[in-house]
Amino acid sequence: MAESTASVTWKGSLLEGGGTIDHVGSGVFGDLPITWKARTGEEGGKTTPEELIAAAHASCYSMALSHALAQDGNAPDSLETSATVTFVPGAGITKIALSVKGSVPGIDQAAFVAAAEDAKANCPVSKALAAVHEITVEALLS
Amino acid sequence: MPRIVREAEIEWEGTTARGSGVVRAASTGSFELPTTIASRVDLIQGKTSPEELLAAAHATCFVTSLGSELARGGTPPERMHVHCTITMDEVEGAGHRIVASHVSARAVVPGADAETFGAAAQAADEGCPFSALIRASASVTYEATLEGGS
Repeated sequence: MAESTASVTWKGSLLEGGGTIDHVGSGVFGDLPITWKARTGEEGGKTTPEELIAAAHASCYSMALSHALAQDGNAPDSLETSATVTFVPGAGITKIALSVKGSVPGIDQAAFVAAAEDAKANCPVSKALAAVHEITVEALLS
Repeated sequence: MPRIVREAEIEWEGTTARGSGVVRAASTGSFELPTTIASRVDLIQGKTSPEELLAAAHATCFVTSLGSELARGGTPPERMHVHCTITMDEVEGAGHRIVASHVSARAVVPGADAETFGAAAQAADEGCPFSALIRASASVTYEATLEGGS
């Protein structure tokens, strides 16, 4: 079992105030600023829940795919994954689009796409976010 | 309402077991973080994991929902602190699964009593998009404490 923690402090109202993600268990980041304006796209340089979900999913997905490839004897040299999360205020998170470019010796494009689809279905973050209406993956062997 | 799109990316070198990755906030450039499988299973200072990023997402989502509910009720918060714990466990027959997310909130809210604060926290839990999503697959719980004035 693994437990992961994060803490956020917010001061003031939603629209005029702002907050920070001030601590995570690993200590790897802290004092990341957050605001509502950043979340709705009116302000750059500050993170949002949707960006953190994108980071979580891209990370989880890369681990799942590299594990599956290695188990089949085709360990990847590198995987470059991006996740794009679509958030509609009022409707929630409606779509996550994964895209992966892999340098994987020993397999062809069809086998890579099959492994990529399998990782999408099975990575723990995909499972946790299974209520998202649409999760897609685009896989390209480089 | 606008459609909002956020991106992140990771570059992973090598296998899961021996390799490592760097996850980056592609939309805002807000963070660039090292991650490994070892840091996912055991807590390693200085390396993040998908579950830690989800904990940060949930805490951030909940705090904005709570602030919004308090303001809607006419008692905007002065200060809120939200802590989130995500638990991943091995589930028999299903492999590793994210099984729980627990949110703990403390807030200084001028003019709010325990009842109105409790109602706002419940509405925040119901309204937070992340809580709604993950509730379909994991246990989501929260506790909320109203603190005295500053």
